[in-house]
Amino acid sequence: MLAAVGAVLAVVPFVPWGNFLLSSVSSSGAYKRQQAVADNITANGSAAGKAVNVNDLTTFPSNSSWLVTYPSSGDLSLDSQNPDTFLKFQLIRLPQELGGSDRAASAFVAYSKVCVHLWCSPTYDPQKSTSSQYETYQCPCHGSIYQLPTKDPATGGLVDGGKAIAGPASLQAFPTNAIPMLTLTADPNGDLYIEPPLFDVEHNGVLGYGRDFASYQNYILPVAEGKQKP
Amino acid sequence: MSQPKEKENVVSRLYQWIKDGLGRTVYMGVQYTYPKRFVSPLGYLGVLTGIVFLLLGITGGLLMIYYQPTLSGCGSLTCAFASIERINNTVPFGWLLRNIHYTASNAMVLLAVLHMYYQYFSGRFKIKNEVLWVTGVILGIITGVEAFSGYDLLFNQRAGLAIEIGSSLANASPLVGGTLRLATFGAGFTDFVLRLYAAHVFILPMIMLILVFIHFPRYLVFDLPVISTVVGGLFLVAAIFPVAVGVGYSPSNPQLTIPEWYLTGIYALLRTEFDKFVMGGLMPALLFLMALVVPFVDTSKKLNWKDRPFFTALGITTIAQILITTAWGFYINPDTGLPTLSRLFVDPALYFSSMLGVTVLSFAFTYAFLRYLKAKERVRRAVAPMSPLLTKKWVFVIFLMLVGAQLALNFFAWTAALTNLNAMTLFDAGAILVTFGVIAHLYRYSQSLPF
Repeated sequence: MLAAVGAVLAVVPFVPWGNFLLSSVSSSGAYKRQQAVADNITANGSAAGKAVNVNDLTTFPSNSSWLVTYPSSGDLSLDSQNPDTFLKFQLIRLPQELGGSDRAASAFVAYSKVCVHLWCSPTYDPQKSTSSQYETYQCPCHGSIYQLPTKDPATGGLVDGGKAIAGPASLQAFPTNAIPMLTLTADPNGDLYIEPPLFDVEHNGVLGYGRDFASYQNYILPVAEGKQKP
Repeated sequence: MSQPKEKENVVSRLYQWIKDGLGRTVYMGVQYTYPKRFVSPLGYLGVLTGIVFLLLGITGGLLMIYYQPTLSGCGSLTCAFASIERINNTVPFGWLLRNIHYTASNAMVLLAVLHMYYQYFSGRFKIKNEVLWVTGVILGIITGVEAFSGYDLLFNQRAGLAIEIGSSLANASPLVGGTLRLATFGAGFTDFVLRLYAAHVFILPMIMLILVFIHFPRYLVFDLPVISTVVGGLFLVAAIFPVAVGVGYSPSNPQLTIPEWYLTGIYALLRTEFDKFVMGGLMPALLFLMALVVPFVDTSKKLNWKDRPFFTALGITTIAQILITTAWGFYINPDTGLPTLSRLFVDPALYFSSMLGVTVLSFAFTYAFLRYLKAKERVRRAVAPMSPLLTKKWVFVIFLMLVGAQLALNFFAWTAALTNLNAMTLFDAGAILVTFGVIAHLYRYSQSLPF
């Protein structure tokens, strides 16, 4: 009897029981390649309900932002009304000096709407702030500020997208000090697509938790530039 | 023997059959005591906690009928919040059930804490074995988690704050933080509401029921007048101080809110802005750990608190520290010009020195007071005869206080009737229960008088 209990207990650690609780995160079936469509809400202005195209600089000008839903339920009006911020991302077209007027996926970044400090929703501020060289992504609750990708003075390339530079989020331990991002690509017509994200800290980050800020130049940007497959 | 045997009929046989059938079950294994005289309810605060738990089960089960543990599908508001609003504003008696449930949840936390402290100071826990005490502490912790998960289900601003802090605490645990948060809270607000709902209405109550059967003593005091008064008083509080649904949570438009009173202590600790895990995880854990080891450390045969000066001082210290940290939790810098973070900031130097100061004061006070008591007792034994318990002056003061309480109750009832007519049903029910309790007790008392 005791031997039987011992045998069962010995096997227990090798069976991944915990996956039951983690299912809603790791089931890759839920995440598919999806066209980036701005939510049909007034905050999205003239872009509301429209599919994002990298060539369309009038509807989607540089240094502006729109709310998108990922993963989509397939129904735009349902998505637009969904209050769950874990499905919401701020699609930002970078300012011109960061390549925002390029007709390519690398002109866009998509930041999670969930602050890694306490899950409030940051917003994009198109004005240059005093604490950063560039425009920033700011949280209304406790003033955490995430930076846009910055130019590396040595190589001229973009680095450290989404890293917190001020407020409580910036004081959190690595890798919980950078906001999760989506991976974007553009097809030959210029239509912007969201690639199936890998929600772990080395790639797109864990929503509401954090991301290794180097993953922007290691994974997200190379895919957007077509140098690496998603 | 001389009494004529009761005539058997269908009803009496059915009753006997049911009684025999239930005789061997766990419900009848417990001896219920219906005291004919008044015994201090301090001794059976645990039973009262259990009664309130039962009340929470009944009202909670009824609230489940209309509550929707989902977010999307209700427009800009979450379904969870919209359904609570519907229960509160539209569903007949929904308002009443929700308020009873809310007040009862607060009462249960309070009664559980009082129960623990009474057992601690009176030394009664030494009569039973350690298992009862340890399951009691675990039950207390689960009661807190149950209350926390309950008020998160509303998804109003206060719930939003609690959700954020809870999740960030899980996140902040070393090594397993990310996985722990994903396993317990899921991958977002939608998961969060559903998982907390499952925990609140089934998983945690089931664990509590299992533990309660371990925790039960063999004798349960079932004092109907006192139970009636407590439940009635709870109804009165629910009627007089109805709780608002609040403003729906919106992560992009947060408001400054304060958690429920039993959580403000942890809130204050977090706001010192030291490491989250140490402040929000380890510090409260220290208190619970201390509570857990008490029966293994305090092994003397002495029961009375006067004979255990160290443990009495320790108990007083925990009470004082909980009060101080709770008060800090309610404090928000009133200067609205400051940024939110600096308004919330609790100065650690001031905070921890006040905690330390109160510890020293508690120990000094307890030891001094016990010495004074001992000296007084010695003098009394030597010379003075026992003075009566209450002098005429104090009887008069108590009488005035009772009249004052009556006037205050009348005033509150009047304002409640003006602001919300819903309150009257509940108020009447509460008043009837309290009146029944008081009359039953007076009757019992009159029967026990020697003349």
